[in-house]
Amino acid sequence: MAAASAVLDDARLDETFAALANSTRRAILAHLAHGEATVNDLAEPFDMTLPAISKHIKVLEQAGLVTRSRRAQFRPCTIAAAPLAEVADWTDQYRHIWEDRFDRMDEYVQNLQNTQDKKET
Amino acid sequence: MTGTKNVQIERTFDAPIDLIWSMWTEAEHFANWYGPMGAKIPKAEMDVTVGGRRHIGMEMETPNGKMQMFFIGEYREIDPKTRLVYTEAMGDADGNAMTAEQMGMPAGAPMETSVVVELEDLGNQTKMVMTHIGVPADSPGGQGWTMAIDKLEARIAELKG
Repeated sequence: MAAASAVLDDARLDETFAALANSTRRAILAHLAHGEATVNDLAEPFDMTLPAISKHIKVLEQAGLVTRSRRAQFRPCTIAAAPLAEVADWTDQYRHIWEDRFDRMDEYVQNLQNTQDKKET
Repeated sequence: MTGTKNVQIERTFDAPIDLIWSMWTEAEHFANWYGPMGAKIPKAEMDVTVGGRRHIGMEMETPNGKMQMFFIGEYREIDPKTRLVYTEAMGDADGNAMTAEQMGMPAGAPMETSVVVELEDLGNQTKMVMTHIGVPADSPGGQGWTMAIDKLEARIAELKG
């Protein structure tokens, strides 16, 4: 099921890209790249309300780019590197999808040609 | 600056060029290989003329239920049997383009990629070179986009290191 998962990865990649398509959210990630931080810490450089910042963090959380600890009262945010690595490797993802398609094309043309041969003989 | 991100794949098929060309240009054949395994291509409308539209629907089962995706595009270059260029973007079931905003992207973000297929007749074999042209570095939205990704790549390298 490598191909189906490649397309699912593709859908997840869309989500990652959508989450990254906002300068505030990228700034939040850049901040978190230096270490975990609370929502208050993250809100500080912005001229925005806490709920507005929380909303951005929620988008990042849903895309799997940020995780929030349950242990502490202030629930600090931490960056999750895996989806970022996927974004960086999007050409690899597409390469897998195409390689897979061409495997199927190859199989399909072989079958077509075999059926044709049988008809002719 | 990474520039345009492309995927290029070269393959040689044990089949004559006519057959490989029809894989790309005849909906019935296209639908047989394009979808991922376990997926169906319930819609493959292809008007293979320069400026002609394409509208491809994909349907697959996921743990969260049925997922449908639609791609739209336009044929840009057609040199019968040797060269085909078409565009691809996310669309809806009616064949309308999804805007950058609908997908949560900043307005003007590049939403369209191009696929270039080049075929070479090797007798009973056909050499195919497929190039999927991604985010163009020189498009207005593309520059910021590529730079943002470059920055993220640098960040990831830091995180890994």
